[in-house]
Amino acid sequence: MTLAALLIVLPLVGALACLAAGGRASKAVGLVASLATLGVAIAFAAGFPNWTDGGVWPNESGWKVFSAFGVDFLLGADSVGVLLILLTALLMPCCMLVSFSAITHRPAGFYAQFLFMEAAVMLAFLARDVILFYIGYEFTLVPLFLIVAIWGGQERRVAAIKLWVFSFVGSVISLLGFVYLGAAHAAQTGGPITFGIDELTKFGQSLPADVQWWVFLSIMGGFAVKVPFVPVHSWLPLAHGEAPTAGSVVLAGIVIKIGQYGALRFAFPMAPEGGLALASTFAALALVGIIAMSLVCWVQNDVKRLVAYSSVAHMGLALLAMFAFNVVGIEGGILYMVNHGLSTAGMFMCIGIMYERYHTKDMEVVGGLMQRMPVWSVFMVLFAMASLALPGLNGFVSEFLCLMGVYTADAGMRTGFPGVLGPWYALLAGTALVLGALYILRMLQKFVFGPLREPAHEGHGHHHEVRDLNGREILSMLPLAAGCIVIGLWPKPLLVAIEPVAAQVAAPYVKLIERDAAKRAADAEAEAAPGPSATTASAAATATGAIE
Amino acid sequence: MDPSALVPVVLAMADGAHAAAGDGHAQHAAAYADVGALPYAKAGVDAGYSWLKWMLLAPLASVVLCGAFALLKVKGRWPAVFTVTSFAIAAALAVHLYREWGPGLFETGMPLAVPLADWITFSWGDGPFQSFTANFGLYVDGITLLWMLFVTVLATLIALYASEYMESDVKAGYARFFFAVSLFVASMLVLVMSDNLIGLYMGWEGVGLCSYMLIGYYAKQVGATAAAKKAFIMNRIGDLGLALAVFLIWTNYGTVQYDGLFQAISSTGSEAVQGSWTKAAIPFLLLLAVCGKSAQGPLFTWLPDAMWGPTPVSALIHAATMVTAGIYLLARMAPFYTAQAIGAEWAETALLTVGWIGCATAFIGATIACGQFDYKRVFAYSTISSLGYMVMGLGVGTAFGGVYYVFTHAWFKALLFLTAGAVMHGMAGQVDFRKLGGLMKVPGFRLTMACMLLGCLYLATAPFSAAALSKDIILYQALTSPVEQVRWMGWLGLATAGITAYYAFRVWFRLALGPVHIEPGPDQHGHDDHGHDDHGHAAHAAHGHAAHAPAAHGHGTHAGHGFHPHAPGLRISLVLSLIAVGSVLAGLPSYLEKSNGFNWIQRFVERSSAGIRATAGPEHAEILGRDAHGALFVLATGVVVVGFLIAWLLHAANRGLGDRLRASMLQTPGLKWLPLGSEHGWYVDGIYHVLFGVPAWLGAQVLATVDRFVVDGVVVNAVGRIPGWFARVFQPLYTGTVQGHALSMAGGIALIVGWVIWWWLSGGAS
Repeated sequence: MTLAALLIVLPLVGALACLAAGGRASKAVGLVASLATLGVAIAFAAGFPNWTDGGVWPNESGWKVFSAFGVDFLLGADSVGVLLILLTALLMPCCMLVSFSAITHRPAGFYAQFLFMEAAVMLAFLARDVILFYIGYEFTLVPLFLIVAIWGGQERRVAAIKLWVFSFVGSVISLLGFVYLGAAHAAQTGGPITFGIDELTKFGQSLPADVQWWVFLSIMGGFAVKVPFVPVHSWLPLAHGEAPTAGSVVLAGIVIKIGQYGALRFAFPMAPEGGLALASTFAALALVGIIAMSLVCWVQNDVKRLVAYSSVAHMGLALLAMFAFNVVGIEGGILYMVNHGLSTAGMFMCIGIMYERYHTKDMEVVGGLMQRMPVWSVFMVLFAMASLALPGLNGFVSEFLCLMGVYTADAGMRTGFPGVLGPWYALLAGTALVLGALYILRMLQKFVFGPLREPAHEGHGHHHEVRDLNGREILSMLPLAAGCIVIGLWPKPLLVAIEPVAAQVAAPYVKLIERDAAKRAADAEAEAAPGPSATTASAAATATGAIE
Repeated sequence: MDPSALVPVVLAMADGAHAAAGDGHAQHAAAYADVGALPYAKAGVDAGYSWLKWMLLAPLASVVLCGAFALLKVKGRWPAVFTVTSFAIAAALAVHLYREWGPGLFETGMPLAVPLADWITFSWGDGPFQSFTANFGLYVDGITLLWMLFVTVLATLIALYASEYMESDVKAGYARFFFAVSLFVASMLVLVMSDNLIGLYMGWEGVGLCSYMLIGYYAKQVGATAAAKKAFIMNRIGDLGLALAVFLIWTNYGTVQYDGLFQAISSTGSEAVQGSWTKAAIPFLLLLAVCGKSAQGPLFTWLPDAMWGPTPVSALIHAATMVTAGIYLLARMAPFYTAQAIGAEWAETALLTVGWIGCATAFIGATIACGQFDYKRVFAYSTISSLGYMVMGLGVGTAFGGVYYVFTHAWFKALLFLTAGAVMHGMAGQVDFRKLGGLMKVPGFRLTMACMLLGCLYLATAPFSAAALSKDIILYQALTSPVEQVRWMGWLGLATAGITAYYAFRVWFRLALGPVHIEPGPDQHGHDDHGHDDHGHAAHAAHGHAAHAPAAHGHGTHAGHGFHPHAPGLRISLVLSLIAVGSVLAGLPSYLEKSNGFNWIQRFVERSSAGIRATAGPEHAEILGRDAHGALFVLATGVVVVGFLIAWLLHAANRGLGDRLRASMLQTPGLKWLPLGSEHGWYVDGIYHVLFGVPAWLGAQVLATVDRFVVDGVVVNAVGRIPGWFARVFQPLYTGTVQGHALSMAGGIALIVGWVIWWWLSGGAS
C-alpha cells in the first residue's frame, strides 16, 4: 500500500481500534494512531518530489471500484495539498492530547470520531477526482456533527443541527456545479462519464462565459458556506461556542480550510470567467466579513465566540486575497490557511484548557489569569499575537502578502498584476490591522492581564487550587507555538512551495484580464476611428486572447 | 477630483508674498523641495562585517535567558546581569564598528550592506516586479550608526539603573521586566539596522509590542492594562499607514530594499513622476506611521498614558529611543520627500505637512505640560513637544537639526525621567509635585536634584547647552527659509521654547526649592509587589482616568509620619552621573566644530539617506533685518529667560503665587478654559472617546445583535424550517442517547445513500 493510501487507511484502522479498545485504553490507541499518521504524513512529504514545480504526486490509480459511476480512485497531492496534509496530521495528536482530561464521557467514541475525521480530511486533500473529494468533504461532517452533538456544551443540539444543515446545503450546492460539469463533459465528448479534476478543469475553462458564471456561483457558493462568508456564517460561532475544545480545533484548523481549499482547487480553476465576473461581489462580501465581524468580535464577552468570529474575519481576508488573482495575493491566501490553522487552533486550546479549570468562557467572570497561570498566559499571548499579525510570527507574513496582493490587483499599476481589486479594497481590508488589534487586545486585557477575577466557587482553595499547565497540556500546544514562530521567522520553504500553485491558479485569470484589456483597447481605438476595420480588430483581439 | 489641482492653491498659501511672481515659485521649490539629483551610492556588500549580527543576537540571548527565568519562576538578580551584559556587548560592538568602519564611511559615504539570512522571499519570474524580497540583512549608513551608538549605550546605562529601581520586584516580575527590555533593544536594533522596509516594520511593531508589555507591566492595575492597549492600538493606526506606504513603494519601485529604492529614485527623472498619486501618497502615509510611533499630531494621546510603565521604561522607550523611531523613518525615507521622487509640488506639500504636524504638536504638547501636576506627566508631554520639534526639523528641511536634537534629547530626557524615577523611588511613588518640596535639602537627594536641574536647563534649551545648539539649527533653518509658512513654524517654535522653559522650571522649583515638604506616595502602604509607579497615579484618577482603589487612602492622612525617604543607591547615582555627563558631552559636536572643521552629527547625517537634508541653513541670512545668527541667539535666549523668570516668579520667589493665579483664573469665566484645558490635555481623549470610541462601540453592539438575532435568529431559522423533514430524520440525535459509533455509521450510510440519489438524479438527466 502506498503512503497516500496509508494516510487514509491508517486513521480508519486507528478509529476501529479505538472502538475495539474502548474506555481509557482508547486514549493511547488514538494518540498512537494519530502519531503514526503524522509519521506517514512526514514520510509522504519527505518523498514528495514536486515542491517547486506545482506538480501532483503520486497520482496513483488502481482501485476501479467506483469506475461504474465515472469516479476514479485517483490519489495525489500538489505542494499545497501536502502542506495541508501536514497541518492536519500535526493538529490531530494535539487534539487527542488536549482532550485527555476534558473528555470523560464515552472516550472511545470521541477519539474514534477524530480519526474518522482525519481519514475523511486526508481523502479530501488527496483526491484527484471531484466526487472522491466530495465524499471526503461530506464525510468530515459526520464526525464533526457527532462531536458537537454528543460532547458539546449546553446548546449542542441546536449547534449540531445548524452545522449540519448549513454544511450539507452548502456542499449540495457545490455538488450541483460538479455534477453539471461532469455530465456536460460526458455529453460533449460522448465518452464515459468522468470526474477527474484535470479533465473537468480543462473542460470548465472552455465553457461559454455565462455558463461559467453559473458554475462558479454554484461551486464557490457552496464552499462559501464552509469558509464561511457573511451572511452564511452564523453556524460557525454557534458551533464553536458549543463544540468541545478539540472539536473547535479541527473545525477552525482544518474543516473550514477545506472550504478555501475547494475554492482554490475547483471553483477558481474550473470557471475563471465566472470567477472574474463574480470577483467583486465575493470581495465585497469578504470585506463586509472582515470589518463587521471584527467589530462584532470587539463586543463579545464569550471568549470562544470571539475567536470564532475572528475566524470569519480572518478567512474573509484569506479569500479576498485569492480574488486578487495575482501570485502575491493567492500565495498569501494559501499561507493564511496554514497560519490561521496554527494560531486559531492554539487559541482554542488555551481557551479549552482554561474552561476545564473554570467552567466558564465569560470574560466578565474570569480574567487576569496571568497571575494564576503564567505559562498558560505565555501561550495565549503568543497565539493572540500571531493572530493579530505581529511581525516575527507567522500571521504577519500571510497577512502582509494578502494585503499586498489585494493592493496591487489593479491594472493601472506598474506591478504588472491585472486585477479587479486595488488600493481601496486593501485600505478597507487593512482596517483589519487596527480592528484586529482592538478585539485581540481587549481580550488579552480582560482575560490575561488586569486584576485576577475568578468565578466564586473556583480557585482560592475552595475546592482546589487552579493550576498552571501540566506537561501534557504544554506538549499539546508546543508544536503549534513552534510552528507560529518558525513560520514567522523562516517562511521561505513554504513560500517557495506555494508559489508554483499560486501561479497556476492565477494563470487563467491573467490571460482573461489581458484579453479583456486588449478588447477594451481595441474598442476604444474603434471608437476613435469608426470604420469597417474596427469590428474586425475587436474580434481579433477576442480571438487571440481566448483561452484554449 | 484631481488632487493635483490643489497644488497651486497650496503653493499660493505657502508664500503669499511671492504668489504673484511665477519665478518665485520655482526658486522656492529649488530651495525647499527640489534638492536636485539624488546622489545615492550603491551600498558596499561586505560579509566580513557579519559579526554585526551579534549586536542583535546578544540581546536576543538575554531575551531567551530572561524568558526561561520568568517561565521557570527562578527568582534572583540574574536577569539584570544578562540584560546589562548583553547591552554592553552590543554597545561595544557598535563602538567597534564606528572605529573600524566609520572613517571609511565619512570618506566615501558608501553604506555598508551585510546579508544575513533569508526571510520573506519568492519569485514568479525573472523580470522586474516578479519577485518579492525582504530578507534579514543589515544596511548601515550614518544615521543607522548614530542610532546604534546612542541606543545601545543608553540602554546599557538605563538597564543598570533599572536593576536597582526594580529591586522590590526581584521576587515578582523581575525576569519578565528584563525579558521585555531585552526584546525591546533587539527590536529597536532590527528597526534601525534592517536593510529593507519589511524588516523595519518588524522592528517597528516589535518595539510596539515591548512598549505594550512594559506599559502594562503592573498588570494588576486596570489603568496600566488600558494604557498598554491604547498605546498598541494607536500605534496600529500608524502601522496601517506604514503598511500601505510599503505597498505603494513596492508597487512603484518593485523593491523594498533601501539600496535598490534609493538607486531607483535617483535614476528616475523628476518629470516622470508628475501627477502620479501612487508616488505622491507615500510620504503622507509614512507621516501617519510617524504620528503613531512618535506620538505626533492626532495620535499623540497614548504617550502620557504610557507613563503607567516603570520609570526606567519611560526613560528608555518613551523618551530616548523608541519614540525617535519616527524621526529615524523620516530621515531614512528623506529621498521620498524630494522633487525627484514625487515632483516638486507634492514634495513641498509633504514637507509642509510634516513641518506643521511637528510644529503644532510641539506647541500643543508644551501647553499641556504647563498644566500637569504629575511631574512624570510633565516630562511625558515635554517629550511629545520635543518630538514635535524634531519632526518639524525634518519638515523645514534640516534632517541634521532634527537628528541632532534626537541625539541631545535622548540624553537629557533620559536624565530627567531617571531623576523623576529616583524621586518616586525615594518618596514611595509620590508623583504630585504639590506634595513635595525642598528636596534639595533632603540628604541623599542632592545629586538627584542637581541632575534634574541640569536636565531642566537642557529641556529649557538654556544658551550654549547641547539642547540649545541642536534646537537652534532647526529654528535657524525655519526662520531663514524662503517659504513663508516655514518661517511661521519657526516663530511658533520660538514661542514654544519659552513655554518649555516655563514648565521645566515650574517642576524643578516646586520639587527642589522651598521648605522641605514630603507627603509620601501610596507605596508606603502598598506592602506588596506592585512596584513604584502603579500607585503614583492618583492625579490621573482625579482627572478622570482609570481610577484605582489603593490610591484613595494615602494622601494627607499619613503625611510624613514616620516616613523616611529612600535615597538612591549606588547604581542609580552612578547612572545619573554618567548620563548627566553624557548630556553635557552631547554638545561636543558643536563645541568642537570650530577646531574640527566639521560637526560630528552633521557628518553622520551627510553620509546617510538624509544627506540631502544635512544643511544647517544658509550661511548668511537675515532675521528681522539683522544677521540671522545673532538675532536668533538673542531671540532664543530671550524667550528662555522670560519663561524662566515667569516660572521663578510664580513658583520660586513666591511659591503660592502660581497656585493663587490658577485659582483666580478658574474663577474668571473668560479665562477658565486655559487652566482647565491645559490640565485635561485639551480634552482630546474625551473628544476621541465621544467621536470615535462610543459610535464604534455602539455600532459594534448593533452589528453583534443583528448578527445574533436577525441574521441567525430570524432569517436562518426561518430558512431552516423549510427542510423540516431534515430535522425529523435526525430526531433521534436530539435525545443524545444513541451510541456514538452506531450513529456515525448511520450518518455515513445516510450520506452515501444521499450522494447516490443525487448522482442518479443529476447523472440521469444528462
